[in-house]
Amino acid sequence: MTGAIRTIVAVLAAAAALYAMQRTTPVYSEITSPVRTNGQQGKRVETRNFAIGIAKVHLARSIDAPKSGRPHSYTTSGVWVIVEAAVQATNESLSLTAAEWLGPDGTRYSMSQRLSTLPGTPGTEQLEPGVPRPMLMIFEVPESQLSGATLLVSQSAYTPLSEEAAVAMTEVQTDDIRPVITIKRGGGTLPWVLEAE
Amino acid sequence: MTTIEASPRGRRAYWLSLAVLVVALPAAMYVHSDGGVVDLIQETQAPLEVQRGEAQTYSGAEWRLTALTRLPGELPETEFVLAEFEAAVSDPAQFQAAMPCQVRLTDGEGRRWAPAFLVERVIRAARPDVSEKPRCLNFAEARTGDTIAMAESFVVPKEAKDLTLSLSLKGEQPESLLFD
Amino acid sequence: MAAERQSTLRQRLFAILVAGIGATAASAASFAMAVYDAANPEPIAAIDAGVQIDTGKWNVMLREAYLSPAPPTGIQPPTPTTFLTVEFDLENRSAASAYASTKLFTLDPPVEALPDFYLERDLWVAGPLNPGMRERMIATWELPAGQTPPHELSVMVGSQIYKRRDNLYGASGWFDREPAARVTLPVAARNESIAP
Repeated sequence: MTGAIRTIVAVLAAAAALYAMQRTTPVYSEITSPVRTNGQQGKRVETRNFAIGIAKVHLARSIDAPKSGRPHSYTTSGVWVIVEAAVQATNESLSLTAAEWLGPDGTRYSMSQRLSTLPGTPGTEQLEPGVPRPMLMIFEVPESQLSGATLLVSQSAYTPLSEEAAVAMTEVQTDDIRPVITIKRGGGTLPWVLEAE
Repeated sequence: MTTIEASPRGRRAYWLSLAVLVVALPAAMYVHSDGGVVDLIQETQAPLEVQRGEAQTYSGAEWRLTALTRLPGELPETEFVLAEFEAAVSDPAQFQAAMPCQVRLTDGEGRRWAPAFLVERVIRAARPDVSEKPRCLNFAEARTGDTIAMAESFVVPKEAKDLTLSLSLKGEQPESLLFD
Repeated sequence: MAAERQSTLRQRLFAILVAGIGATAASAASFAMAVYDAANPEPIAAIDAGVQIDTGKWNVMLREAYLSPAPPTGIQPPTPTTFLTVEFDLENRSAASAYASTKLFTLDPPVEALPDFYLERDLWVAGPLNPGMRERMIATWELPAGQTPPHELSVMVGSQIYKRRDNLYGASGWFDREPAARVTLPVAARNESIAP
């Protein structure tokens, strides 16, 4: 009799263990997900390969910028988020090509491809060790996703286990949304110039 | 378990299997690494050090660093480094097969710079003679006895000291040359 | 001892038999269902233009179809070309920005070329669409020279399913499924020089 009970308990325990393992198996994207370094807006965040600091965040309903040489008004159904940052490679020359706005509800907004040819945006230049450079990241997000967001910056969106800086965007002035911000090509050290109306 | 305890033959097989694992596991890792283990071992090998101005046979050519010049950079607190080097080709086939070469500038702290791009304009202004020289990418026309002068440019901070140039060609031993 | 062993053997045999019969029955039932589904496909819903279709990953609303001598960018191709153009609304229902798939629409009459997607706001090639941000889009198919432009276009709108673990890598992703709806659109001519 005790033998039968023992068998039943063993079977149940095995079933429970199998179920737990099946439930908790990480999916492929989790196994190969980027290696995150957490940080905060306004502070320097250092990953193994690069360092980033978020200087300013501007919000706008519309962006005026050149489109294949001619001025164009980039409208949106949400809000434009313009992030000015400083970045630097740590040990080796590299390019940062991927940036995502991770909303408070977990939704991911990629860096806008509509303005990806502007100077200073990720992927437009190579970062050199010891040479800090400004970087411009532009996102298009619904108004509800502005506060409590996290900025994710990495070398590549597709390389498994790449280094990723996750910057908590704690100081976004959600009440200060400008109607129009104009982005112009800059001269000298800053590749762009922002003008708010 | 009962069978192992029951027969000595089974027990021997059990221990033999465990022993085989010691060989089989590393072998499986080696095979599945798809050459990665070999690369890892090669990376840990010390590069071949070459004195400034001296020539070194490597991958079908005699390589020589002719100049490492520092120029004022466009950005504040930066400098351009122009690396001029040449290869006297002795085995064109081997030389071409190993192209393009991977050139890196290394400083005393171990930081590594890749060649900069979009700097032709600056170099043309400062050193027009160097801007004529090709980058170390592809020399399909190379013949035995040719001496090919090449140049690569780098953007480094002013404070970078003890710069050395490392040159690495595909599938060559050792992994790279290091010009002091 | 011997009797106990024998009964264990019989029990094992019985268990193997039961499991075998069960597995056979399950696979037979699954196969029969697959055959039945293939033989009796669910009719694809015919939906009017201007009605939103939930395809899984997207909300799609087809608006109109017309022929145009140029893509939405207004850049005239070097040789005269006819662009079969479809305007539609697209909203990303997934949790991350994504490009519109070239497999989203299947045309009848068929067009060999893959579509190009443009964003109406910029009249420029569309990038990834952000989640929950509905956009007016323009899809164009370049008609090969000699193909008579259709008077009426039937658009099959594909559907997608999210799998947390796919069958190959255990990766999460969206996978194309059978069409969600069929929308029939009249094809207008935007330019007088091209008659449908």
